[in-house]
Amino acid sequence: MARAVGIDLGTTKSVIAVLEGGEPKVIPSSEGGPSTPSYTAVTKTGERVVGLLAKRQAIVNPENTIYSIKRFMGRKWGEPAGRELPVEEDARRKTYKVTRGPNNEVRVLMGGKEYSPPEISAMILQKMKTDAEAYLGEKITDAVITVPAYFNDAQRQATKDAGTIAGLNVIRIINEPTSSSLAYGLEKKKEQTVAVYDLGGGTFDISILELGEGTFQVKSTAGDTHLGGDDFDQRIIDWLCGEFKRDQGIDLKQDKMALQRLKEASEKAKIELSTVQETEINLPFVTADASGPKHLNVKLTRAKLEQLIMDLVEKTLEPCRQALSDAGLTPAQVNEIILVGSQTRMPLVIDKVRKFWGKEPNRSVNPEEVVAMGAAIQAGVLKGEVKDVLLLDVTPLTLGIETLGGVATPLIARNTTIPTSKSQIFSTAADNQPSVEIHVLQGERPMAADNRTLGRFILDGILPAPRGIPQIEVTFDIDANGILSVKAHDKGTGREQKITITVSSGLSKEEVAKMQREAEMHAAEDAQRREEAEARNQADTLAYNAERTLREHKDKIPADLNKEVESKVAAVRSALQGKDVNALKRATQELNETLQKVGAAIYRQQPPPGGQPPPGGGKEGGEGTVEGEFREV
Amino acid sequence: MTEKDSQERQPVPAELETPKPEEIESLKQTLAEEKAKAERYLANWQRAQADYINFKRYCQQEKEENQRLANASLILSILTTLDDAERAFAMIPPELEAAPWVKGIKMVFDKLQSALEAQGLTRIKAEGEPFDPHFHEGIARMAGKEGIIIKEIEKGYQLNDRVIRPAKVIVGSGEEEKED
Repeated sequence: MARAVGIDLGTTKSVIAVLEGGEPKVIPSSEGGPSTPSYTAVTKTGERVVGLLAKRQAIVNPENTIYSIKRFMGRKWGEPAGRELPVEEDARRKTYKVTRGPNNEVRVLMGGKEYSPPEISAMILQKMKTDAEAYLGEKITDAVITVPAYFNDAQRQATKDAGTIAGLNVIRIINEPTSSSLAYGLEKKKEQTVAVYDLGGGTFDISILELGEGTFQVKSTAGDTHLGGDDFDQRIIDWLCGEFKRDQGIDLKQDKMALQRLKEASEKAKIELSTVQETEINLPFVTADASGPKHLNVKLTRAKLEQLIMDLVEKTLEPCRQALSDAGLTPAQVNEIILVGSQTRMPLVIDKVRKFWGKEPNRSVNPEEVVAMGAAIQAGVLKGEVKDVLLLDVTPLTLGIETLGGVATPLIARNTTIPTSKSQIFSTAADNQPSVEIHVLQGERPMAADNRTLGRFILDGILPAPRGIPQIEVTFDIDANGILSVKAHDKGTGREQKITITVSSGLSKEEVAKMQREAEMHAAEDAQRREEAEARNQADTLAYNAERTLREHKDKIPADLNKEVESKVAAVRSALQGKDVNALKRATQELNETLQKVGAAIYRQQPPPGGQPPPGGGKEGGEGTVEGEFREV
Repeated sequence: MTEKDSQERQPVPAELETPKPEEIESLKQTLAEEKAKAERYLANWQRAQADYINFKRYCQQEKEENQRLANASLILSILTTLDDAERAFAMIPPELEAAPWVKGIKMVFDKLQSALEAQGLTRIKAEGEPFDPHFHEGIARMAGKEGIIIKEIEKGYQLNDRVIRPAKVIVGSGEEEKED
């Protein structure tokens, strides 16, 4: 089946995303990056290149490399400009030739041929489509493409035309901030006002939207078409050059090779300082003079960086004020803030936004991908994919059974998508135990008593055997309707018992939340109780094993050692009666040490054939791994 | 057996043979609805299954890609150190050039380079070659033969068949070379 995609067709770079199992996912370009530079070119040899390759040759082939075509989409010479520069001014700033077509439409010259802006954008879309088809192994026909909220009808139509030329059926053109809101699922909540703060590599946009039931209305937009992360990098480069000049008297800006290294190091430092407080910019042999080689070795702290770019970040607040006043709102009336664009990863930006709007901004979705993701969701909705995808539920609480010592042993963890099933092998807790009780529990607490009982049943007819030997397979199965069936199967006899429980019944959302809250509240004391239970289980198992060892190897154990073990076992047994866990642990530890002596004594008398006795070899009592044990019934 | 035979011979109840017309209508409608439902469920099931198969395929692809990329990003981060070493060796003061200690350090870096080459790392040719954006990134133009790389600013590398860092180069503009 053909896929529908979402495309963020940007000024400097573009991103494409698809819905995968109901979740948006960005498709990498054929060069491996998450985005495609919005560049097209005809090289000196007449080859047409798009994306990363076009960008790589932009500086050496400036006349035939088209970039920022988005600024010309749907625009005409001589028309009044809104937020953007007039065409005349923008055209002057470009390294390629911008010409006048019929009806004063904009044309650009590439490789000696005139192209309309939609044709150039189509080349970018075409490459992304081809890359995505190769990645998905499927044809792509339908697309949702995003545009800035301030785009007029002509600009939107031009964008749609670009899609059509690229062989895409453009099912909708949506606003970039709307798309970001969709990616955060904000439309699902009640009516609210959302601000989208978008600080990318070269442009800044702020939009205020009103979200109703499935409707989006742009209340106001403002911004700065020439402010972004690139300006931040330049500040670092300028500072580094200044420092170096002061120390060494050499101007690195005159040295192309040094400047290239500085550029890369500055961007790297900026990115690092979003997660650490201090970084080192280390460029050995950056240049040389008569006295020999020179190195650049500078520490840059986050505080220093923030000082360098403070005014740039503050410059974004004026458009924020503007947008608020245009919408007739105060910051407090805005319910949600969304951060978009790579530069919003900077802690100072997040901080300034938080302070200005007086609330924590949404930034859990990758800010470089959020626009394309929202578009993919919109495409899915329009194609009916989202509606039709089977809505799968999750189990709100952990499901498990009670095991030895009153411990709740989980089988299906909470938030597991259903339908699902899970099996685990358990065993008995006592010798010749004839039956086991399966106590089905629901809840997050580690002790059975604190969780909710969903049901219990008994599996009997277990053949007489030492504890830990019978294998009882317990299977939990939840169907799509939340109906849980629990089955216990004795692998030895083939006997089986089961119970069916409707999990969802009787628990409201509030109850689920309450149980989860309680689990968090009691986490510390629960952990302690669980530790106690485990210590008791351990002590009990060890005492049992010690007694068995004494029985089985009576003749090989010296009488005094035998007595010592017996007294230590008695100590453990009596500690098990008491409440002092530390005393129990001590007694267990002592018994364990004594048992090691027993092991050594047995091995001394009976060296294993063909091998050295293990060094300090203790006798482990248990047979095989026992995952958990039922309490006796 | 006899009992069963007698049962089979029993006539079918009359009302089952001739249901009322409106019942037939309603049954037909129910059948059509159920058929549509079944088709929809089957389609959804197929889609879920296809999504799952595709997902598995992407996971595998991604895993392979990640393994390749993990190597590439590690090697990429080592490359700047290799660049630094080369710059250092290019600037050795003449009086130190023959010192055994300097030679030893050079040998250390040769070893590092061979280790990377064993992983499939190769250097991209640049100076004197025609500029090709598949391998080179132009960072400036200067006087010289048009389209030919005049100077390499940063060395480019390929890991197996993939360009992990294009060579950063200055390309001839076609203007006459001036004595500078």
